[in-house]
Amino acid sequence: MSDKSKEEKVSTTLFQKRWKKFKSLKRGYYSFIIVVIFYIFSFLLPFFVGRDALIVKYEGEYYFPVFKFYLAETFRQKEVQGEANYRMLKEQFKQQDNDNWVLMPVYPYGPNENLLDELTEIPPTHPNNVHFFGTDDRGRDVLARLLYGFNIGISFSLIVTILSYTIGVSIGSMLGFFGGKVDIFGQRLIEIWSTLPFLYVMIILSSILNPNFLLLTFVLTLFGWMGMTYYVRGEFYREKARDYVSAAVSMGAGNSKIIFKHILPNALTPVITFLPFAIVANIFSLVALDYLGFGLPPPTPSWGQLMSQGMQNIEKWWLIGTPLIAMFLTLLSITFIGEAIREAFDPKVYSRLR
Amino acid sequence: MILQVVPGGPLEMEIMRIRMGGAMGEGPSSTSSSSGISIPESAMEEIKKFYGFDKPIYERYIVWVGNLFKLNLGKSYVYAEPVWDVITSRFPVSIYFGMISFLLTYLVCIPLGVYKAVKNGSTFDIISSAIVFIGYSIPGFALGAFLLVMFGGGSFLDWFPLGGFRSNDYDTLSSVDKIKDQIHHTVLPVISYVISGFATLTILTKNSVIENLSQDYIRTAFSKGISEKRVIFYHALRNSLIPIATGLGHFLGILVAGSFLIETVFNIDGIGLLGYKSIVQRDYPVVMGLLVINTLLLLVGNIISDIIYAIVDPRIRFK
Repeated sequence: MSDKSKEEKVSTTLFQKRWKKFKSLKRGYYSFIIVVIFYIFSFLLPFFVGRDALIVKYEGEYYFPVFKFYLAETFRQKEVQGEANYRMLKEQFKQQDNDNWVLMPVYPYGPNENLLDELTEIPPTHPNNVHFFGTDDRGRDVLARLLYGFNIGISFSLIVTILSYTIGVSIGSMLGFFGGKVDIFGQRLIEIWSTLPFLYVMIILSSILNPNFLLLTFVLTLFGWMGMTYYVRGEFYREKARDYVSAAVSMGAGNSKIIFKHILPNALTPVITFLPFAIVANIFSLVALDYLGFGLPPPTPSWGQLMSQGMQNIEKWWLIGTPLIAMFLTLLSITFIGEAIREAFDPKVYSRLR
Repeated sequence: MILQVVPGGPLEMEIMRIRMGGAMGEGPSSTSSSSGISIPESAMEEIKKFYGFDKPIYERYIVWVGNLFKLNLGKSYVYAEPVWDVITSRFPVSIYFGMISFLLTYLVCIPLGVYKAVKNGSTFDIISSAIVFIGYSIPGFALGAFLLVMFGGGSFLDWFPLGGFRSNDYDTLSSVDKIKDQIHHTVLPVISYVISGFATLTILTKNSVIENLSQDYIRTAFSKGISEKRVIFYHALRNSLIPIATGLGHFLGILVAGSFLIETVFNIDGIGLLGYKSIVQRDYPVVMGLLVINTLLLLVGNIISDIIYAIVDPRIRFK
C-alpha cells in the first residue's frame, strides 16, 4: 500500500513539475490563459455580438430572440419580411415611448447579416464608429465576421488536430509495438502517402467535391496524420525495450494492456509538444483554402474569405488588414504556448521552434 | 542506416482516385450543358470522344499510365499544347523566385543563428527571437496580400507593381531598365516567400550550435588553446550544419509546392499559378501532369536529403 502511494506521488510530480515550469514561462502561460478565455467566450458570442436581441419586452410579455426565432409580425413590424429586425424595433419603441423595450447585444450586428439597406455608401464601407472594422463587399459587418470566424477556425483546427493525432498515435504505436514486417510495410506506405503534395491534392479534391465542414475535416485529417506516426513509433521502440515493459510481459499482461496502460502514457511527450504547432498549421491550411475559395462554403464567416475579398478590392485595406492582424495575434499566442510547452517538457535548456 | 524505398505505385493509387474524381466532376458539367442548350446527341459523343471520356475509367487510366512511361502527359484542354511544354515553360519563373528566396534564407539565417547562439541571452538575441517569432506567425501569402495593399498602389503607397513577373513592355526596355524592372517586381514576392522559413531555420541553427557548444569536443578544443573563432566556425559549425544540410533536399519540393499561394497572390505565372488555374478551369491533363511532377520532385528531394545526410555525417552509412 505504501509503495503504491509513493509511486503515485512520483508520477504526479513529474506532470506537476512540468506544469509548474510551464506556469513559470510567463509568455506562454498568459497566452494560454488568453486563448482559452477567448475561445470559451467565442461560444457565447451570440450574447455579445449578433443581430438578435437578448430580451424584448413587448406589450407586457418577454421574448428571448437569441434562443428562438420570431417573425416580424409578432411585434407588428410591417416594413420587415421574415424575421424581425430588432435594431429597427428598438428605434420604433424609443419613438413610441411606452414601456416596450429591446435589449440588444453590445455589438448589434450579425456575421451573415446583409446591411445593404442601412449603409449610406456602397459596400465595402470604411471602418467608422458604427462598424468598427467596416463592412465587406456584401455589406456584412467585418468585426462580427472576424469574431465568428475565430470560433470556427479554432474549432475546426482543434477537431482536425485531435482526429489526425488519434489516427497518427494509433498507427504509430502499432508500428512501433509490433515492429518487424508490420513496421517495414507500414512505414513504406506512410512514406508513399506523405510524398503527395498536400495542399495541391486538397485543392483538387475540394474543387471536385463540394466542400463542407465535415468533408474538409475528413480530408485534412487524411493528409495530416502521418507526421505524428514517426515520433510515436520512435517512442514506442524506445519504451518497448525498458524494464517495466518486460516486467509487465512476465506478469502475463496482454498486448492491449501493455500498449494502453504501460507504454502509451510514457510515449505521449511528442504528442503534447507538437499539439500547438499542429493547431497553428491547421488554422493556416483552413485560411489558405478559404482564401483560394476551396474552403468552407459561403456564407460561413472566415478569415481567408475576407482576405480574398481584400485582394479583389485592393484599395479597401481593412478587408485584408483586420483578418491579418487577427490571424497574426491568434497564431502568435498559440506559438508562444507551443514554445512554452516544449520548454516545460524538454529537459534541455534552450528555446525551440518546430 | 537509411532505407528509402522508391515507390513505384504511389502515384498510381492517387491518380486513380483523382481520375475517378475527375470523371465525376466532368460528368455533371457535361450533362448540365446538354440540358441547358440541348446539344445534339452526336455532337455530345464527339466531344466525349475528343476528351477521351467515351472509354471507361480503368481503360483511360491504363492508357494514361502507359503514356506516362513514355513521358507523354497528354494534351492540355485549355492551351491545346502538350502538357509537358505547358509545364516546362513555367519552370524558369518558379525557379527564379525559389532560388532567390532559398539563397536569401540560408545566407541570412545561418550567420544569424550562429551569432544568436554565441550571444545566447543577450538583448540582441531576445529582440531578434521576438522578430523571428512574429515572422513565424504570419503566413507568407497573407503577408504578401497585405504588402500588395500597402505598397502596391492600393490604398496607401504606390511603390511596387501589382504583381506579375515582369512589366508588359519588358522586351522593349534597355538592359539597365530590364534589371530595374525585374528587381521592382521581385521584392514583395520574395519577402513573402522568405518570411516563414526565416524563423524555422534561424532557431534550428541556433539550437544546433548551442547543443554542439556544450559538447566535450568543444571543451577539448578550447582547452587546446584554439581561438574562439576557430572553435565556433571550424569545429562547432561543421557539426551544427548537419541537420540543416539535410533540409537542402526538401528545397526541391518546397520550390514547387510552397509557391502555390504566393504565386496566386502576386499573379506570377509560374508552376503554382498554373496549378491553380488548371484546377479552376478543369484542365485535368495539366492537373495530373503537375501532380506527377510535384510528387516526383518530392521523392527526388527526399532521396537527395538522405544522400546529403550520409555525406555530411560520417556516422551514417548506407547499409
